[in-house]
Amino acid sequence: MKRATLALGLAATLAASPVLAQQTPPVPGWQQGRPDSMAASPLAPHAPRLTVTPPDQVPVAALRVPQGFQIELWAHGMPGARAMTEGEDGTVFVGTRAIGRVYAVTEAGGQRSTRTIAERLTEPNGLAVRDGNLYVIAINRVLRYDGIGRRMGDVPQPTDLTSAFNLPTDAHHGWKFAAFGPDGRLYLNIGVPCNICEFNRDTHALIVSFNPDGSDRRIEARGIRNSVGFDFHPTTRELWVTNNGRDWAGNDIPEDSLHRIRRSGEDHGFPFCVGSWNDPAAGRRNCSEFTAPAALLGPHTASLGIRFYTGTQFPAAYRGAAFIAQRGSWNREQLSGYQVVVARLDAQGNVTGVEPFLTGFRDEANNRFLGRPVYVLPRADGSLLVADEQNGAIYRITHRQ
Amino acid sequence: MKPAILAAALLAAAFIVPAGAQAPPEAEQCATCHGAEGRSETPNVPSLAGMPAEFITLQMILFREGLRDAPPMPQFAQGLSDAQIEQIAAFYASLPPGPAPDRGPRDVALAERGAALSARMHCGVCHLPDFRGRAQMPRLAGQREDFLAQTLKEYRDNRRVGTDTQMNAVMYGVSDADIAALAHFLAQRD
Repeated sequence: MKRATLALGLAATLAASPVLAQQTPPVPGWQQGRPDSMAASPLAPHAPRLTVTPPDQVPVAALRVPQGFQIELWAHGMPGARAMTEGEDGTVFVGTRAIGRVYAVTEAGGQRSTRTIAERLTEPNGLAVRDGNLYVIAINRVLRYDGIGRRMGDVPQPTDLTSAFNLPTDAHHGWKFAAFGPDGRLYLNIGVPCNICEFNRDTHALIVSFNPDGSDRRIEARGIRNSVGFDFHPTTRELWVTNNGRDWAGNDIPEDSLHRIRRSGEDHGFPFCVGSWNDPAAGRRNCSEFTAPAALLGPHTASLGIRFYTGTQFPAAYRGAAFIAQRGSWNREQLSGYQVVVARLDAQGNVTGVEPFLTGFRDEANNRFLGRPVYVLPRADGSLLVADEQNGAIYRITHRQ
Repeated sequence: MKPAILAAALLAAAFIVPAGAQAPPEAEQCATCHGAEGRSETPNVPSLAGMPAEFITLQMILFREGLRDAPPMPQFAQGLSDAQIEQIAAFYASLPPGPAPDRGPRDVALAERGAALSARMHCGVCHLPDFRGRAQMPRLAGQREDFLAQTLKEYRDNRRVGTDTQMNAVMYGVSDADIAALAHFLAQRD
């Protein structure tokens, strides 16, 4: 078993003052890795909003998309709306974190309705649909709702697959993203249970896959600090994942990153490297021994949901490109992220550029934010849905010539 | 609480809500335990006067959603709309904060020990240097000492979470004696 041994400031402090060491509590996750010079920094994670944002207060009028695109409020009244997946019948399922709910948005006769189909779960962000069954992955549970599409008004008791998957139960970075791969396996992330710490590189900071029943666990990628978004390239079928970089290393380092996983089991470098940046807290390593990111996505941007666009409604330049939602920073003096970007790829699958696509959530003048875009979902008609966690809303982006 | 007693208490509460602030009708039952002016005289029940409205709203939703249990709060929160919860939160946020009427005398040595612990644990970073709280992080200054001690133990022992798990990590492994010092120091702050 490989162990990452990190020489952290905390460890040095404890060693220097053994009397205090017995009483000093571990540093909470969001403070871990914070240098003494930042001890009084007022930066702290932003509060979630768990109340309904009335539709007239959803900031859709402030949002900006490129020329030729339109954005509208598609669904609302779902506090904490995050990861989205679509059922075979077109139902859009929506996961959450703090409020513990799973929502479903259905359309009939031009009317759209939302309902809560599961509640009282611990951060049920991971959702995936296979053969008409909805998989819900909370921090401590894996549940399968069979035949959910036909039973929306009378949601069935789920089958509990928790013990079969046997996932770690750590709360910190324990929320999941989930997707079925083209190979029929269920892919999940397992984040590192801290900002930066000593951890087991065989059990955490991984992308893993399973058979749908929870058997045959396989490590798809290691050294991925905390990915809560991924998708499979439409032609190469390679797995592409976003990754959240560590906190407290400065306003501009490290950057969040996009990773292309060509072979199962590749090592992408956490805690040692992000690209060519060798984290001084993790010890010296030659970063060339790890798979380099396919792209850097900006410091502290909280890059979460990613989906490749294969529709025909958007102009040809967007076909095969990846939309990436950036929830936005807390560990940076000037806000970063709070937008959806588009990463374009060339024929070899190399990222040729990353540029803003949906903006307006960030109020630069006042260093505040109006919303937090977290996940994207292209639909069969070629439109693109964007979930805004802070406002419990989903927007639809369309294109007209 | 038995229905008859509760009814009597609610009736009493209706008369002791302060005249200056507009109390939403749903807040009347709150005063029974949380105090006429949001300053609790009930052991292990927090004062709410001057709390950040966002904190009260988030906790009430955790109660309503069955994600936090502190009887009888989940029961009281059932059926409340977001708007009702936000009105209650705004009302208590608007009340002037102050110590519980039955606050005991200051133990100088204990308070100083608590102050040193608080500085080392960086409580004032999130709860602000004067401990008035902000956003999802509650006011600590002048809170009931018994409630603070109970809550800190609940976080330490993983019997409570907030809207995230930060406080569980903060309190991990902290001794009962240190919790007593922290609670005393914070309760004695004005």
